[in-house]
Amino acid sequence: MNGQYDFLVIGDDEASLAAAAAAAKAGALVAVQRPFERKKRSPAASAAVPNFVWRRLDLQDYDLTLEPVSARVTLLKEGGPVATYQGARQTAEALEAAGGHDYTVWRDFLDEIAALGEDQYLTRALYDGETPAGREFAALLADPQLLSKAARLFGPCADLLDDYFADPKLKLHVAAHALSLAGAGPRETGTASCLSEYATEDAWRVRTPKDGPSLRIVLERVCHDAGVAFTPEKVVEIAPASGKTAAVALANDDKLRVSHIFFATPEAAAAAGAVNCRNGFGYAGHAVFSMRFRLADGIEPPGGDRKALYQIVDGAEDVQKARDAAVEGRLYDKMPVEFEFAPNGELIARSSYLPAAFYEDGEWRGWTGQDRQAAAAIMRERLASRMPGFANYIRRSEAEVSAPPAGPSPFAGCDRVVIQPRRHDAIGAAVKLIDRVMAGDE
Amino acid sequence: MSDVKNPMRGTDGREKESRKTTGGHRIEGGIDAVVIGAGADGLAAAAYLGKAGLRTVLVGAGAEIGGRIATREIAPGVEGIDGEHLVTLLDPEVIAELELYRHGLEFAARRLDTTYFFESGNVLRFDGDLAQAALLSLDNDDDREALERFMGEVLEMAAFLRPAFRPLAFPGGDASPKRALEKALSGAAPDMAERLRRYLLSSADDILRARFGDGPLRTLLSAETAFRSATPPHEPFSFLTLLRRFAGEAAGLQGAAAYPKGGAVSVIAALRRAAQSAKVDVRAATPVESILIEGDRVGGVTLLDGGQLRAPLVIAAIDADQAFLTMIGAELIDIGLQRALTARRPEIASARMQIVLKGVAQDDATRRNMMRRLVYAPSPEALAKAFNEARSGRVPEHVMVEAIFPTALDDGAGLDKRQVVSVMAHPLPFDVAPDAQRREEIRTAILDSIEMFAAGFSGRIEADDLRLVADEAAMARASPGAYAAKPDILRQWALSSAVTGSGGITGFYFCGPEAQIGTGLSCASGRAAAKAALSAFKRGAA
Repeated sequence: MNGQYDFLVIGDDEASLAAAAAAAKAGALVAVQRPFERKKRSPAASAAVPNFVWRRLDLQDYDLTLEPVSARVTLLKEGGPVATYQGARQTAEALEAAGGHDYTVWRDFLDEIAALGEDQYLTRALYDGETPAGREFAALLADPQLLSKAARLFGPCADLLDDYFADPKLKLHVAAHALSLAGAGPRETGTASCLSEYATEDAWRVRTPKDGPSLRIVLERVCHDAGVAFTPEKVVEIAPASGKTAAVALANDDKLRVSHIFFATPEAAAAAGAVNCRNGFGYAGHAVFSMRFRLADGIEPPGGDRKALYQIVDGAEDVQKARDAAVEGRLYDKMPVEFEFAPNGELIARSSYLPAAFYEDGEWRGWTGQDRQAAAAIMRERLASRMPGFANYIRRSEAEVSAPPAGPSPFAGCDRVVIQPRRHDAIGAAVKLIDRVMAGDE
Repeated sequence: MSDVKNPMRGTDGREKESRKTTGGHRIEGGIDAVVIGAGADGLAAAAYLGKAGLRTVLVGAGAEIGGRIATREIAPGVEGIDGEHLVTLLDPEVIAELELYRHGLEFAARRLDTTYFFESGNVLRFDGDLAQAALLSLDNDDDREALERFMGEVLEMAAFLRPAFRPLAFPGGDASPKRALEKALSGAAPDMAERLRRYLLSSADDILRARFGDGPLRTLLSAETAFRSATPPHEPFSFLTLLRRFAGEAAGLQGAAAYPKGGAVSVIAALRRAAQSAKVDVRAATPVESILIEGDRVGGVTLLDGGQLRAPLVIAAIDADQAFLTMIGAELIDIGLQRALTARRPEIASARMQIVLKGVAQDDATRRNMMRRLVYAPSPEALAKAFNEARSGRVPEHVMVEAIFPTALDDGAGLDKRQVVSVMAHPLPFDVAPDAQRREEIRTAILDSIEMFAAGFSGRIEADDLRLVADEAAMARASPGAYAAKPDILRQWALSSAVTGSGGITGFYFCGPEAQIGTGLSCASGRAAAKAALSAFKRGAA
């Protein structure tokens, strides 16, 4: 595959494919680099497909069915599960039934924090690295209300939650779900922005039923129909070709000339060795560890809802402690774990609270097989802590680490690399970002 | 100020003092402005008002003038100075406009040489400081060039952003500072605008890692970024903290750390003399109970002894909790300000330790170091761990340490005298009421950190004195939270904007520690509050 492209999209997750398809349908020449062989597996729940993406990609013409996860549930160490639902009313009713007064402010909380993230002035800075400069910057400093909003949006998640809620379990539940993608700590600067994304409609995750085509398969079809080229060959070298293009060499010696190398998720970027260079909110310094379990019949999550999305968290301090451990380059044995049951019955578990590399005896080193085993043991232990006898039901399991590969990155120093920061509404955000890059080219 | 509200105005344009008593308490009138708080910002504000001809009374709660900066016996026969031990942010315009040099301010060192010590045992010496990177004694030319280039960019950006680091939101004030800010920031050259876009949100660690890899320059710049900040270098906005540090112009030299002859108390003394020469009535041991609010305007203050000082202008140079929540009352301030005040969750603090050493240093190397600023810079990994520990309420094993020898700096000939080491350590957990065990843990962590670069140091200690923010707050009769380490610059901007907005009370201005952007002795807030008050006074808005 030789030639010239506007975009080389690296990754084959839903957000990457949606961005590639949207750009191709808008007239861009797009290539997608994806792995050689993708294992046939039931997909995990993904971000929702916003209406504007649905229309842009004409998804109504494809046999696509999406259903939302039934609830976000947190399984605490002590006390019953905390659950919130897609509908604000249903959540308020559940919170009221559980006692306390936080149910009275649930809807206000969702509206207000989502509105914080809708301020273009702030979100452009947050997600696109377009820090206001000059006149805009002076206007920000001269406007106490905008400054106050900015401080709330860019402040710690814990402070914003304290503003609204009294129940520590509810605060922990919201923080655990809002921060799970970023692997961030609730006391960390900037993490309130995760809350504002979490509250948007498109952040509610969806999955495809067992008997229908997966969202990824459908998006691949859209890409094919829109003329997107696919290659399984990895990028081995990038050199500047001209001011606005880069010469990309693939592993099979094919040569591409591309205007932009696009990563729709930071996981795709991390796996390829590209760092998030657009802004400071990449929450670098952590790896995503995920496991799939083929289970014997009979095991159920607490409460029995197989369509919910679960978080396992022990206590209020554990999310921050897990983040601290990741920053310090070590494992934390009480790390938060997210899990769900895929449509084919597999249990998919993941955690973003693992170190990108390990710090031992004053030196950093990459992941080893032993580290993977240790992380897998912790993850199994965490699952067993909420589902007694879990280990006895495991028939098969596999683990995967998404961490930057060792050695020099072919993407280092390339100014044509675009990376979407971690987003709850990954699909909509990736399409908007590739649109903005295209508009910039024009 | 209208004649209706001030019927005692005399023919010289000033109000005559009026004193009467009601119910046994004295009421004083004829005052144009009351400044609450006898720290540096209060003294500066009062001096500006007095210089402009306003009859100004400055009241301080403590027995001494100076707030948290004061002389105290730290060991039998040995005096030390609480509060700041170096000056980095002191506003050069305050020095010039209040003629502080004429009032006795003198710098023993305008740009202290700095020596950095690393965990590895390596040492980097600067003739001057980071701002003069060209004079760095580095063996590696690549490193030297990288640092020169980097510091050139940092100093340029810091100077460009200097107007943004001044408090801005004062009500009724002259609009020109805002216009000046807009003009300054709008005039960014394309490469400056691009740098702002790239760097303002970023973590210092991301930038430093990209520029310096894992070398010692990243370590020392990380440490400078983190020092006295509540935001660790790996979190967003921390690069702005570094820019704020290098926007300072102590003694007229950008980025320098200066040592005033006699220590920070000499800055206080100069400010006091400036205030007194401007005929400010300075009253120590005069605690204020409440600020009088009449309708939507300020009417003066009620003293703890029941007396009243009536004045159309009140400037509070005390902590915001005291000013707004105690003296004014939460019910009289707007909800935005209430939220800004109650949303704070201090977690990190610095600590001062003054150590009296036995004997006299004999070797030349030690004696040379006594004339320098000594910094122990833990590795970025150790620093990140220290922040995590401190945030969790635990005392880190090792902390960053900045040490100077005030006795040697004050008088080079004093090298043969008994020496006092003044240490600032960071990061430590913030405690409202630390107990004896916590104090001992902190003392041990500081001494262990000093031992990392000065082995055997502990054996030379004759006496030591640990000063935590709770102690400083008790002495200045302030809320401990006011002296905790400040969060990222964005949140500092937001809080400063909220408190200097003053809750919508006409005639009331705030220049306490929450108004200031950055940490250290500055006086920029006092100046800005006084200028805004004067502007309103002249327009009759007060």
